[in-house]
Parts: sequence; C-alpha cells; structure tokens
Amino acid sequence: MMHHQRPHVDRYTCEETARRLDDYLDRELTSREMEMVREHLETCAACAGGFAFEASVLAELRSKLRRIAMPVDLETRIVSALAAARLEESDD
Amino acid sequence: MVHHMLPVAMAILAGTPLVAAALVPGEGAPDVAPLDPDEFERLLRPLLPKAYAIALHLAHDRADAEDLVQDASLNALRGLATFRQGTNFKAWFFRILYNCFYSSHRRHGGDQGMLGLEDASEHYLMLRVMESGADLSGDPVADTVGRLQAEQVSAALRMLPEEYRVVCTMYFIDDAAYQDIADTLGIPVGTVRSRLHRGRRMLQKQLWALALDQGLVAETATAVPGGTP
Repeated sequence: MMHHQRPHVDRYTCEETARRLDDYLDRELTSREMEMVREHLETCAACAGGFAFEASVLAELRSKLRRIAMPVDLETRIVSALAAARLEESDD
Repeated sequence: MVHHMLPVAMAILAGTPLVAAALVPGEGAPDVAPLDPDEFERLLRPLLPKAYAIALHLAHDRADAEDLVQDASLNALRGLATFRQGTNFKAWFFRILYNCFYSSHRRHGGDQGMLGLEDASEHYLMLRVMESGADLSGDPVADTVGRLQAEQVSAALRMLPEEYRVVCTMYFIDDAAYQDIADTLGIPVGTVRSRLHRGRRMLQKQLWALALDQGLVAETATAVPGGTP
C-alpha cells in the first residue's frame, strides 16, 4: 500500500511569525500555532530577540500600571455610600 | 452573554431603583436567590483597588475615577438581582464599571484622547532603541521604559484615543483575555485584537517620546528602514 505524505509546510517564515507576535505573547494562538511560533523562535535569533524585547516591554508596563494605589479613604466612602443606599432602599 | 445583560444594564445605568431594575422576563432571569447585600460587599471590597486603577485610566482625573468606582458600586448594589450566584462576580462588576464609564462619558461628550491615530511600526520601541545606539547586550527595556515613573506610563496610557484606551486598560491592568474583553464591551474578539495591537504600538510611540523628553535616551541618529518616524 502506498502512502501519500502531505508536504511538510508547517513552518512559519519570519513574516508569518512576526504577524503572530502579540497573539503569541498573549497566548491567544491555538496550541499548534504556539508550537510553530516557538519552533521558529528556537531557530531564528533575530525574531527571538524581537519577541524577547516585546515581552519585556509588556512585563514592564504591566508592573508599572499595577502600582497605582487607591486613595486610602475611598473604600470607607464607598462602604458608607452602600450602607446609606441600603438604608434608603429599606425605608422605601 | 453581553446582549442578555443589556436591558438590565440600561436600567442600572438609568439609576433605576432595585425593584424596577429587575430582569426582563425571558432575558436571563436568575433562577437562584439574589446575592445577599452583605455578601455583595464582601465580594466587592477586594476588587476596589483594581477597579480604581482601571477607572483612573478611563476617567479624566482622580476625582472622576473615584466617582466612577463609587457609582459602579452603587449601581451594582441596585442591580444585585442581575447577578447570578456562581458566575463570575468580578466580570459582572467590571461590566457595570465600564457601562458607568460609557454612560458618564457620553453625558460629557466623550473624548478622542490626545494622541493621533497614525500607526507606529511593529517593534517601534525596539527600533528606536537600536537607532539611539543603546547597549542591546544589557537590558534596554529597563534602561528606557523601566526608568519612567509609573505615573508617566499611566499618563501615556490615558492619552490613547478612547476605544484603544479602554481595551488596553482591561488588558494591562486586569490581565483580561481577548474574549473576556470582547464579552465585557460587547464587541467582536477580532476588534479587540486589532485595537490592542494598534493601541500597544501607539503606547510604545508615546513612551519613546516620554523617554526622549526625560533625557533617558539619546535622539535618533539614523533612520531605520521601515520605521515610522
């Protein structure tokens, strides 16, 4: 019995990999696509450098944007407003 | 999910009292008892710091952000009947927060952000860093973005046009997945993807401008092919 193997085309080029940059970093690709991007990055230092840079930017931005502190009295004010609203609701 | 919430959300946004904000029959009426207000408060309180961080990037200033979180908390209390116990409380509350923002934003005429819509190239920041002659063997991100103050990065995000700012805020601060952002905002996931992609580039462009202003990096010496100035 003769087997007809499909041509091996499942390798991303640099351009195809670059198009998936954000989705890869955000883990929004299918597992197969994730694997194909990973395979490309393992063999292409230029793309790997670009991806590492972008990943580092994202991590830095997340870290900084999450340092924002809530005003100390805001929670107290909200809890008081909620209590007042509940009281008002029960009076109606 | 979102379209089931719309009649309820409209009632909540209109400030309709609890009873009148009840669900439209057939529109996903809860089949379990509504959340107890004490339990609501217990679930809400740990979310407030993140809600404030999100609000700060949606609203104009700190005072508006505080008002937004408080309004969302009160609207959530009034709309408790719309919450299905056992589902994601955080997603429910943040949806109310975003609805409050859009409602208030429209009353004030909205804004388009302070940045132009022109795209920055892929790898914008990396290309600029390379042009500046920075030492790439070190940690160029720490030497540029890393040296900006958190408040400066926050200000850069606030400068994005609204539709990009909202999506990027959910992404960066709440670490939301594309589908969660799409569900919360009621837009297709492809739209989330493209706004996020473009928003990130715009943000990189703004951050580079900030780094230049702060003297953290040298002016670009040479043009990089394919790079947007």
